[in-house]
Amino acid sequence: MSVAASSRNTAKDQVAIASAATTGFTAANTNRSQLSYAAEACVAALRAAGLTAADVDGIIGSANPSAPDLQQALGIPAVTYFANPPIPFINQLAAAVGAVHSGLCNVALVYHASYRLPWNTGSAWKDPFRRGGMSGGATAAVPESVFGSPGYTAWASRYLHEFGGSREDFGLVAINDRSNAARNPGAALREPLTMEGYLAARMIRYPLCMLDMDVAVDGGDAFVITTTERARDMPLEPVLINAVTLGMTGTPSETQTPSLREHGQQIVVESLKARGDFWIDDCDVYFPYDGFSIITLNWFENAGYCGPGEAGDFLRKHWDAASNRVLINGRVPVNPHGGSLSEGASQGSGHVREAVHQLQGSAGERQVAGAKRAIVTAGGFFFNAQGATLRTQD
Amino acid sequence: MAPDISADIPVGISDEELVSRFPGYPLDHDTAARYRGWLDRVMLIDRCATCGTWHEPPGPICPKCWSTDIVPTPIAGTGTIHLAIFLHQGPPVEGVDYSTPYPVVVVELDEQPSLRVSSTVVGADNADIVIGQRVHLDWIERRGAPMPVFRLDDVSSSPVAS
Repeated sequence: MSVAASSRNTAKDQVAIASAATTGFTAANTNRSQLSYAAEACVAALRAAGLTAADVDGIIGSANPSAPDLQQALGIPAVTYFANPPIPFINQLAAAVGAVHSGLCNVALVYHASYRLPWNTGSAWKDPFRRGGMSGGATAAVPESVFGSPGYTAWASRYLHEFGGSREDFGLVAINDRSNAARNPGAALREPLTMEGYLAARMIRYPLCMLDMDVAVDGGDAFVITTTERARDMPLEPVLINAVTLGMTGTPSETQTPSLREHGQQIVVESLKARGDFWIDDCDVYFPYDGFSIITLNWFENAGYCGPGEAGDFLRKHWDAASNRVLINGRVPVNPHGGSLSEGASQGSGHVREAVHQLQGSAGERQVAGAKRAIVTAGGFFFNAQGATLRTQD
Repeated sequence: MAPDISADIPVGISDEELVSRFPGYPLDHDTAARYRGWLDRVMLIDRCATCGTWHEPPGPICPKCWSTDIVPTPIAGTGTIHLAIFLHQGPPVEGVDYSTPYPVVVVELDEQPSLRVSSTVVGADNADIVIGQRVHLDWIERRGAPMPVFRLDDVSSSPVAS
């Protein structure tokens, strides 16, 4: 039996997201520090949960700011657990579930701050305070490598080779995100996008263009994660973490990954279906990662919405012409916040935050009526495929 | 405890000089032998002396049998393009002009299924650099040091399925 097929999940529904908050995202160098975004989001999440700094006993975030810097910035008196796992954000979520369920801490403050830096946008060099910061990811320093960002472009070339699709399949992912972002005041890019506009966008690494790649932003998300029991006593509807997983194959690098049908995503899907209580047939809102458009197409296929190579046709079949976006079976929106391609490159924190707001009924004009079940399949193919199933109490 | 395999490899130049010859490359005690090979225009891939498995990237232990008897071993230099992209922009490097999109390929080597390395293709039109095309190893110079690249085999032959 595959290790991913284990159904043991003692934390199932025992840990909950009590609140989620965002600063909104800006696709320009702002005159603010990365710490300022994390701090703003954290304060908002704590206030939404009715908590003060003294209630926090765990701090979990991505690399920058570090947990000690965040603790000092917010004057959190004492913690019994802290960690800074790597992105994407399901790493942070998984660390929080483990820490809260096991009792390493009781109330975890969980954050990710996105920041424009030289590794994700050359424009960051214009701000002298950003030139030293390379945290959060890396792309090879020599052009002949496919480690980092070029790896997704490389496998996009394989996708087109094996399945004979077209760049328009990738474009549908970008257009869906952009149409959704129009309803999200916190999104960085909200102007309508047409297929003509997509195809005319600047090529970066053929076959992926600028609009296939997440938009570098300044901004932050934060969450309060605690036991479900304690979350019930807080002001907002608890969002139960039904299952969470991080999947990886034995050769999890850009060059040695076996194939498009054998990488981290297949493990994530098998694990979530075994450990969780629902899957796509009962999903009200779906969040496939879209840091690169090719990742999203693969998620649709691996999650079981369609077969390998069929994601483009699936999106066309479920396209809602009136809103110029995907509505699966006329009902389920995909990345309704605009995703990484239009809300901003949040490395998955935006996807989780929007899932929380949808399940709490606070997603404004993006709200899916009566949403009770959300699936987040974050990250890419290699060392970063991840996912979570989230649900309301009822 | 893994033996110091670097002791088995002709040193030629010091570690300090090796680092200075390959700025920006991921040099450490597992990868140094590869780059020493480059200086001799020999492409070395780690191979397990116990079970014969090739593995990439270089590492201290065989992922198949856990033997630490790892030998950086010359390859035939033949293979098939598995992934192919074209950079319209990229890191500034001498001799690379992105005004013509710069090809980057991942080549599956003939030594073993799914054993792959990345580099560029020289001496070819971009239109001929396609997945499935057969290639062979060659060497160019960059910043005064040899660098392995690929050339297309007979481009008149149609690409094979892979």
